[in-house]
Amino acid sequence: MQYIEKQIKKGIKLHLIKTEKFKTNLIAVFLTLPMARKEVTKNALISAVLRRGCKNIPTSTQISQELEEMYGASFDNGIDKIGDNHVLKFYLESINDNYLPEKNGKMLEISIEKLLEIIFEPLIEDGKFKEEYVQQEKENIKRIIAGKADNKASYAYDRCIEEMYKNKPYGLYKYGYTEDLEKITAKELYDYYLQLISKCKIDIIISGNINDEVIKIVQENENIKKLEDREPQFIKSSLEDKAEVKEKEIIEEMDVTQGKIVIGMDLHLKNKEQKYIALVYNAILGGSANSKLFQEVREKASLAYTAGSIYIRYKSNVFIKCGIEIKNYSQAIDIIKKQLEDMKKGDFSEEELQNIKKGIISTIKSIDDEQDTEVTYFFGQELSIQKITIDEYIKKIENVTKEQIIEVANTVTINTIYFLRNFRKED
Amino acid sequence: MQIIESSKVKEKLYIEKLENGLTVMFIPKKGIQKKYVIWGTNYGSNDSKFIVPGEQKETEVPKGVAHFLEHKMFEQENGTNSLDTLTSLGVDANAYTTNDHTAYLFECTENFYPALDELMDYVQHPYFTDENVEKEKGIIGQEIMMYDDYPEWKVYLNTLEAMYHEHPVKLDITGTIETISNIDKNILYKCYNTFYNPSNMVMVICGDFEPEKILEEIKKRLIDKKSNGEIKRIYPNEPDTIVKGKVEQNMDVSQPLFTIGIKDKNTDEKEIVKKHIAIEIILDALLGKSSKLYKELYDKGMIFSVPSLDYEFSKGYAHILITGQSTEPEKIYEEFKKAVSDMKQNGINLDTINRIKKSIYGAYVKEYNDPADIARMFLADSFKGINSFDYLEEIVVVNEEYIEQVFKDVFNENKMVLSVIKKA
Repeated sequence: MQYIEKQIKKGIKLHLIKTEKFKTNLIAVFLTLPMARKEVTKNALISAVLRRGCKNIPTSTQISQELEEMYGASFDNGIDKIGDNHVLKFYLESINDNYLPEKNGKMLEISIEKLLEIIFEPLIEDGKFKEEYVQQEKENIKRIIAGKADNKASYAYDRCIEEMYKNKPYGLYKYGYTEDLEKITAKELYDYYLQLISKCKIDIIISGNINDEVIKIVQENENIKKLEDREPQFIKSSLEDKAEVKEKEIIEEMDVTQGKIVIGMDLHLKNKEQKYIALVYNAILGGSANSKLFQEVREKASLAYTAGSIYIRYKSNVFIKCGIEIKNYSQAIDIIKKQLEDMKKGDFSEEELQNIKKGIISTIKSIDDEQDTEVTYFFGQELSIQKITIDEYIKKIENVTKEQIIEVANTVTINTIYFLRNFRKED
Repeated sequence: MQIIESSKVKEKLYIEKLENGLTVMFIPKKGIQKKYVIWGTNYGSNDSKFIVPGEQKETEVPKGVAHFLEHKMFEQENGTNSLDTLTSLGVDANAYTTNDHTAYLFECTENFYPALDELMDYVQHPYFTDENVEKEKGIIGQEIMMYDDYPEWKVYLNTLEAMYHEHPVKLDITGTIETISNIDKNILYKCYNTFYNPSNMVMVICGDFEPEKILEEIKKRLIDKKSNGEIKRIYPNEPDTIVKGKVEQNMDVSQPLFTIGIKDKNTDEKEIVKKHIAIEIILDALLGKSSKLYKELYDKGMIFSVPSLDYEFSKGYAHILITGQSTEPEKIYEEFKKAVSDMKQNGINLDTINRIKKSIYGAYVKEYNDPADIARMFLADSFKGINSFDYLEEIVVVNEEYIEQVFKDVFNENKMVLSVIKKA
């Protein structure tokens, strides 16, 4: 694997991942901008409207048909919240010419062209997005927002974040807000889109069995030529000064059989090296089947089927998630808190630590065996304060010591305990 | 070792049936760091009635034993848990149970052989006690309750219940809290001894290895066990008819979920790949992303994303499932039936068939990107009597006449059911 970066214009970067491991080429375009309440809903709507059709392929049916003709090339797009950034993501994956029954050598070029057309050459009628598409996609986003609570586990997680980050960018919902949707007109949305593509950070990542000609293909693409230099205002992940907050507990009721606990915790890290230590801390606490949470809550106490934690490095948070029988709530919380205390005391062996590190390193090593994971990795680097290669990443994990983990563990404070339970019977 | 090569995806399959009956398959992947091994037994939730080789009378066990066994296999006599041991080695280990097979697997970049030691050791050495069986009932009970809250799972099970009178495919893989309460260690041992015999098992490895070497490494980790002969599985006689046309359940969902099921008959192993492809093409033509019906439903605001279109089959059953979310599932169902009857009258457009064939071809090629996908695909297909490479060959030759024939045979209104989950 070889990774090359090339500045196409100011604020517009091309990343090439040359690899022979895959039968496909994957092209990803990311538009990045800071999360802001007045923009999130519009961003979500733009993402939805763009996939409906572009100037040269005006309907989604036609887009689908063209993709089918390209041996089932797959187009996908969506929005994501990465740290305090909102990212509009567009992907097109197509088969490498080597594996096609009829080769014309143009599959990659056509794929790049189509993807850029969908993003940068939208369907415009009377100086605005097509009215019909905007109206329909508003309805669709309303439905997505209304459907937030369908998956109880992810709902509980979203709610915990919302409570922790009230009135802050990271607390915003990536699909936006119903009340904001109503007001957006097709004209306003298009004007905002023009502004967006002229100021956002743009990353184009191409992975596959490719050569440097790709650079020329991108540079000479008409849609890229039209774009101008920009000073992108995205937010690099940094160490946040986290205020000490009083632990709060939020209990909500819904029609559920199983209760969901999400505990949001703050890590008060001193320096960026501690981010790698925090990763190992989380793996011991709840990141694997050997972890304390899995062992103690699920295996020993038989309290849960799911019990684990995730580390959000962009925000220096760890979230514990458990699905439990509702009546066992306080027992589960006690056991979880005990695990946090045990981590502070360093109640894990050197052997356990080495094992956990092996698991993390194995995952890092397989990054370049998976095309989309590798693309995500390099994009993540782009949003980080410190860029490191996969080898450096492995080194950093290898060097983590028990003392360092204890130090990090002692900076951990519980911010919010969120519990989703069934309706309490009324007396 | 027998070698089968696919010129389409430029991959090779090495296959060998060992003396004790175990089938080993190996797909080399040069230059990939990831190594994947999966060991499966042809034993799933559907196999609850059978005749143990050498016995005369039938054995019937509670529903959910295959899945329960999967959970309990990790526990070792010396008090360790193999899942922990594997995790300690830095490998990513897991197991799962389906309707027709149970599989144990791990994926790694390092420590492959120590992990293989552990995998092959625990799968060959069960350790069940009254105490550890009882404890597991609590964990599985939580798993069952978790699925109870998944509308996606409920809409699926309800569809099967509407289609099948007798066949166990209609039951939850985990069993119920009631059925698992009847499981004890003797039942587990009996099922283990019957189904975890090498002759009923397949191992698939994918990664950067030499074929002969990996085969030797596997052989030396096998304990001495003889092939135990054929296990007779008893499935109830399933009528061709459906049970009921509609089933509805209330759950707390913002948008109704629906599944349209179409019950099909059992198909011969020789034909199943071709039929599977034909059904995929028909489903895409009817309701895929580029179809007329999808566009209409989307424009009317009745549907928001392409429904998932699946054909599921194994011993004694086959059915189509179309699953999605809609404001008006009943209307979707009516429109779907209308599209089927229109297409029956007008035939399927040849350009559409060719375009969709290309698309499906590409999708098959993509399956060969990841060792995990490859190994799982070969394992699951092998238990259905299929060599996965055949899909790449058959898609080229499947023709319009055959597709029309399958369409007429399978897509009949009296075999269709609608399952809906909506808010009370």
